[in-house]
Amino acid sequence: MSVGLILLIVLGLGVLGFFIGRQRALSVADGEPRNLHSLPGYYGWEVFLFATVPALVLLVAWLFIQPVVIENRVSAMLPEADIAQAGSITLVMTDVRRIAQGLDAVAKKAGLDEAGINAMRADLTDMRGRLASVGVAIGSNVTPSTLEAAKAYRNLNSSFSQVKSIAVVLTALAGFAWALFQINPEQRARNLVERFTLVLLASSSLIAVATTFGIVFSLVAESIHFFKLYDFKQFFFSTTWNPKFGGGSDLGIWPLVWGTLYVSFIALIVSVPIGLMAAIYLSEYANKTVRAFAKPAIEILAGIPTIVYGLFALITVGPFLRDWFAQPMGMGNSSSSVMTAGIVMGIMLIPFVSSLSDDIINAVPQSMRDGSFGLGATHSETVKQVIMPAALPGIVGAVLLAASRAIGETMIVVMGAGAAAKMDLNPFEAMTTITVKIVSQLTGDTEFASPETLVAFALGLTLFCFTLGLNVIALVIVRKYREQYE
Amino acid sequence: MSDATSQMPAAARPKHSLFEPDARTRRRNAAETRFRFFGASAIVVAVLALVILLASVLGSGLGAFRQTFIHIPITLDATALDKGGNRNPEDMKKVTTIGYAKILEQGLKAAIAEKGLTVDPALTAKQIAGLMSQDAAAQLRNQVLADPSLLGQTIEFSALANGRVDGFLKGRVTLESAARDSNISPAQLNLVSEMKDAGLVSLDFNPAFITSGDASEVRPEAAGLGVAILGSAYMMLIVLVLSLPIGVAASIYLEEFAPKNKLTDMIEVNISNLAAVPSIVFGILGLAIFINFMGLPQSAPIVGGLVLTLMTLPTIIIATRAALKAVPPSIRDAALGVGASKMQAIFHHALPLAMPGILTGTIIGLAQALGETAPLLLIGMVAFVRETPGAPPEGFFDPASALPVQVYNFTQRADPAFVERASGAIIVLLVFLVIMNAVAIMLRRRFERRW
Amino acid sequence: MNDMRIVERDVTASSAKMAARGVQVYYGENHALKDVDIDILDKTVTAFIGPSGCGKSTFLRCLNRMNDTVASARVLGSITLENEDIYDKRVDPVTLRAKVGMVFQKPNPFPKSIYDNVAYGPKIHGLTRNKAELDEVVEKSLRKAAIWNEVKDRLDAPGTGLSGGQQQRLCIARAIATSPEVLLMDEPCSALDPIATAQVEELIDELRSQFSVVIVTHSMQQAARVSQRTAFFHLGNLVEYGETGQIFTNPSDPRTESYITGRIG
Repeated sequence: MSVGLILLIVLGLGVLGFFIGRQRALSVADGEPRNLHSLPGYYGWEVFLFATVPALVLLVAWLFIQPVVIENRVSAMLPEADIAQAGSITLVMTDVRRIAQGLDAVAKKAGLDEAGINAMRADLTDMRGRLASVGVAIGSNVTPSTLEAAKAYRNLNSSFSQVKSIAVVLTALAGFAWALFQINPEQRARNLVERFTLVLLASSSLIAVATTFGIVFSLVAESIHFFKLYDFKQFFFSTTWNPKFGGGSDLGIWPLVWGTLYVSFIALIVSVPIGLMAAIYLSEYANKTVRAFAKPAIEILAGIPTIVYGLFALITVGPFLRDWFAQPMGMGNSSSSVMTAGIVMGIMLIPFVSSLSDDIINAVPQSMRDGSFGLGATHSETVKQVIMPAALPGIVGAVLLAASRAIGETMIVVMGAGAAAKMDLNPFEAMTTITVKIVSQLTGDTEFASPETLVAFALGLTLFCFTLGLNVIALVIVRKYREQYE
Repeated sequence: MSDATSQMPAAARPKHSLFEPDARTRRRNAAETRFRFFGASAIVVAVLALVILLASVLGSGLGAFRQTFIHIPITLDATALDKGGNRNPEDMKKVTTIGYAKILEQGLKAAIAEKGLTVDPALTAKQIAGLMSQDAAAQLRNQVLADPSLLGQTIEFSALANGRVDGFLKGRVTLESAARDSNISPAQLNLVSEMKDAGLVSLDFNPAFITSGDASEVRPEAAGLGVAILGSAYMMLIVLVLSLPIGVAASIYLEEFAPKNKLTDMIEVNISNLAAVPSIVFGILGLAIFINFMGLPQSAPIVGGLVLTLMTLPTIIIATRAALKAVPPSIRDAALGVGASKMQAIFHHALPLAMPGILTGTIIGLAQALGETAPLLLIGMVAFVRETPGAPPEGFFDPASALPVQVYNFTQRADPAFVERASGAIIVLLVFLVIMNAVAIMLRRRFERRW
Repeated sequence: MNDMRIVERDVTASSAKMAARGVQVYYGENHALKDVDIDILDKTVTAFIGPSGCGKSTFLRCLNRMNDTVASARVLGSITLENEDIYDKRVDPVTLRAKVGMVFQKPNPFPKSIYDNVAYGPKIHGLTRNKAELDEVVEKSLRKAAIWNEVKDRLDAPGTGLSGGQQQRLCIARAIATSPEVLLMDEPCSALDPIATAQVEELIDELRSQFSVVIVTHSMQQAARVSQRTAFFHLGNLVEYGETGQIFTNPSDPRTESYITGRIG
């Protein structure tokens, strides 16, 4: 049974339960709803919830746990020699999974039944060729033990899935029956349903926490994995980044950090003055017509996906900067450069800076402006000498948030900054950033358990800490600032 | 200084008529004008950036919706295409595209001869056939397999032209650039301009750009967005179905029920931080948890949908809480006053009143998710996918692409014709975003309520 | 306090500092002020009284063109300062406001140090040539505002850290540091406790020796205590204007009488 089918069965039971529950409540109350503690619908909901929720929780938990259990069982079957030969246990397990998939395809093509598959022998037939014929390529020859593991993997999978289907449907039926038996006129169905709902609501809000845990867990776990394979001193202190396929790579983070900070710096140089001045103009000077036109335009800028900015950098800004600035000035002839990515990212951040500054400037009380005007200050003097100092903490917070955005931005730098990891001052050179390397290391063809791939998680962890730190500081500053005027 | 200043040194300012500004006031007013000018320029720069960005994308992308076709009569030789002679599509499948390519080649030659066009004798038969896309034969084959009765007839067939020929008609390829290009020669292009004058070649609207799947590196003319649009639609469906109920449930709990304690505080901080976590980190989460740990397939909409759901949740929660907060407590009090439970007061009164705000927030969250690229790269959506995924729910587990990732994919290819495709894909993406935002604005306008 | 002295005051000796003729104010469609004629005398405290929403604050804000900062406000008629029309095209409101200072209802010190708060006006108007002069202006202004002794040891402390009464006196010091000719006060004591109010009222009386002071108040006792002349506004009209003593003891308009005796308001 597929997951979808189980889902349908459980939900079907739930809906059925709703009607039967309501009916039963009415019948135990002799058809008179006023004899019941709660409205009849609540008895229906009660059956629905008891039939579906425990079963679905079981199903989800099972889906999480089954692969882990099977993985453990099967990897325990593999002989040490195979693991040593392939390099690591994860590699062998990848093969096992692929062979298991291949076996399914072979069985389908040749019309074999389960017994036929179990009778296959790696030492008698050319398994590799057979698998290749159904489109499953295996890197090396299939050893008998790997084939056995793959068979066990398949068998375990199918038997677990069967047990799963039965267990989930039984749970649903049990909840259904139990809730149905509970129904009597004195039962407080509404309170029960409401308490149940409250638990559901509360657990939904925990998903945010679970996501954070998931992020931290996946980053930390794989980073530990990485630092077991690669010296952390090399990672944090080396200034060369030079991954190689065959191993022996230099994976120093500094060239990436430099590129990231350089691009972000240029982005801030572009976005902070423009965004801030735009916000000041819109909130202090602009008349209704200008505001009605300019505000939406800036908001549109905020709604454009970063991939669009990336393409803009790639096809318009990059070549323009190369042909009109870099080449005439003799500063290089690469169209992807720190400047390209920085300027485009700056444009992307203008609406971000401007809407945050707008909020902050508007939070400065009108009485402050009146005080300054009353003394005969001009509008710009008021802005520069009264509003800006008053709004400064908030604006610093906004700039920090923008910096965190810039550091974490991916598509613009992937398409605009280049891939060369170097520490150079020339802004028209191609350089690379942490996010670019996360993408290139994780989308490449290198094997997952190698340091060249795992380094992406260490980079991700660095990035996460960086941006989280900036965000927390910024939020604290902004919150303090808001309190000042409340 | 005069005596008057002894009272107040600041009175050093001489008596001055209001009508004649002194030098200092003039300076200050000049500074004021400058400042104002800087502010206005900032606005102009921002708006100009938007205009240039849109113009550059539209300018290079609109061409993708029109494609060069070669219109020639094709005689479908039954003996060559249906060797069994029984019109059975299963048997006819034995004839590969190579067989159809030959027929196309003959048809093109005949058409050129019939129009009496001058052909440079240096052009080989292969070069002439090369004016057509490699995909043209496959299209002809599909057309015949779908309707075997066409065999033996002469049909008007519009063959997809080669990407370079297409570029020539769109001005991207010139005779000079062709001289340096190993894939096309100036002689070929001269023939194309003659064919164009004779009406054999024209630029037509190309619906296949929206419907067909991706095509390989060497045939940009056949690449389309069908798989990507479907993949994005699947993911949006998953995001909507998961994030709306979960987000609303979480908001109701946090806004209406949660006690003020450490745990609630932690959840709140978590949500505001999640909203600011770089999107690529969510991609890492998806790779590590959904693919490596749970064993879900790579490149599948289900994984993309789950990742985007987690990214969209904070947006929806923040919007929903704001909408719930905007419903005045008096409404809840009124419901409680007639004996409703708290849960009933919220679900019967507060929630329906907050619904427009919630939906607006959801649509904006979906629009963000639709444009998201980076996390999808990490979960393998970047792979080359030609086949259309199946119908849901099984289709959620089939490999698919997504619109923004398809854009990235196009830009990674060497042939400049793909730049046009990428920009065209962005136009499609932007059209979807504009529609979604317009719906959100409409919802807000129509249902906005001031208490 | 000094209620008893009202009648003795001599107001006729002063000449008109500011004169308003036929002033109308509109906020969008709303006709907020109708046809006001008034002379503000030099070296005199003039009080504007009337029920809330009667237009007295609106009129006050016309006197230094603060209404310019409200986009929807329109002012018609003429107001002159020493015979120069302040709504003339050639007049820069910035220069005007340096001559006609203003203190607001709620104390609004800038989020700067006490010193910088007071020095702000002289700095922007370029009234001093060096730091020593600026120091002197700040000290004199703070002394005049009767707050010098309380803050002289902490001039670098933020102005927002003072108590409400101190803040308001700081704002007054800030306003007089530009040595205006007229000082407008918009209910300067409404946010203060009685002790702080008494201090500020005493201060207003002293300021009279140098400036023409216009004060808006909704407290009739305050008007009687501090002012020599009083104008009564009602529903956007200037109902009665004259010597304070006369307005309070022998009003000529029945509406004034009703207000003073507490029947309307």
